[in-house]
Amino acid sequence: MIKISTTFGDITVELNADKAPITVANFLEYVREGLYDGTIFHRVIDNFMIQGGGFDTNMQQRATKAVIENEADNGLRNEFGTLAMARTMEPHSATAQFFINVSNNEFLNHSGKNMQGWGYAVFGTVIDGTEVLDKIRALPTTSRNGHQDVPVDTVIIESITEID
Amino acid sequence: MKERLFISDLHLSAAAPELFALFQRVLDQHTQDIDQLFILGDLVDAWIGDDDDSAFAQELKHTLAALPKRGIELFFMAGNRDFLLGPDFLSQIPATLLPDPTIIEVMGQRVLLTHGDGLCTDDVSYQAFKSQVRSPDWQSQFLSQPLAQRRLTAQHLRELSQHASATKAETIMDVNADAVDSLMAEHHVSVIIHGHTHRPARHPLSDMRERIVLGDWSTETPPWACRSGSNGLIFQTLATLS
Repeated sequence: MIKISTTFGDITVELNADKAPITVANFLEYVREGLYDGTIFHRVIDNFMIQGGGFDTNMQQRATKAVIENEADNGLRNEFGTLAMARTMEPHSATAQFFINVSNNEFLNHSGKNMQGWGYAVFGTVIDGTEVLDKIRALPTTSRNGHQDVPVDTVIIESITEID
Repeated sequence: MKERLFISDLHLSAAAPELFALFQRVLDQHTQDIDQLFILGDLVDAWIGDDDDSAFAQELKHTLAALPKRGIELFFMAGNRDFLLGPDFLSQIPATLLPDPTIIEVMGQRVLLTHGDGLCTDDVSYQAFKSQVRSPDWQSQFLSQPLAQRRLTAQHLRELSQHASATKAETIMDVNADAVDSLMAEHHVSVIIHGHTHRPARHPLSDMRERIVLGDWSTETPPWACRSGSNGLIFQTLATLS
């Protein structure tokens, strides 16, 4: 399990290393390095997802390691309260950025091994702190540095730590 | 701030009256607070020319014309099925024909609108077909034929297209990531909205870009659409009460 400590409260997530071994190992490496500490949820869209772990409070991108294989074909679905990897249009391009689904986003699920169908790899589920999720997803957003959906009140990920 | 609704890939036809009824319900139930409606291609399954005198074409005109009467501005971009739908038909609505691509602004951000067939660059045979049927020569030759002849040709093209779709690998008919990248870079946009692929999604991209793919329509499930306005961009289904 991991605890995402944010300025709006803590979110506890159970990681699924059985179904998403590569993604979980990659995520935990970043956790142990402290890469996520001081990053923000930079893209918050209610009824969709909250995305973070890539930028600091000055919207500067954190340096990341190599891209990982997309494990979206593991059968886990992008349902409310699941943790998944963000990526570019290229299916196997996730590094550190992640998102938490705040809706059942069926269209993000794996449907085929092609660019459109790969989907987004789910690797964990929120087991505590859904009220924090609810607080964050309802935040008013604005555009900042040319990007929309940035919360007016910055949501800082103070730390992500492994817990028992 | 203008409230806008974006839809595409309705594939309306005389053969699908229930789909047409769904379209009418969506217009009744989802445009009450809309200032502008954008139809980003494949409104109809086939279009043989603006002089089409069929009952279907008349009903379509009548249905669309109800929107401007209610103060809603209508914008149409041609898709791969209705590239012949042009100014003559649209001026009777009235609606504005948009070039593909078109850039609009949403909350100060540039948003690129395209049907999306131009992004499927791996489908070489389709792209060759497209440049043929979009050429002025082909179009004037086609439009000079009697309506009955054009209906037969359209039927033939539709069958060819269905056959091609059924036999081509899915990857070929996908959008090409490099094509999306270069189109977005060329137009200096970080947001793209397109249809065509029938793979509706809003993508959680890690590169600070936004890609929204509009859905195709069926009477089975409510279609995916996009709204923009005071609440930013919203990707949503258009559920209706019958």
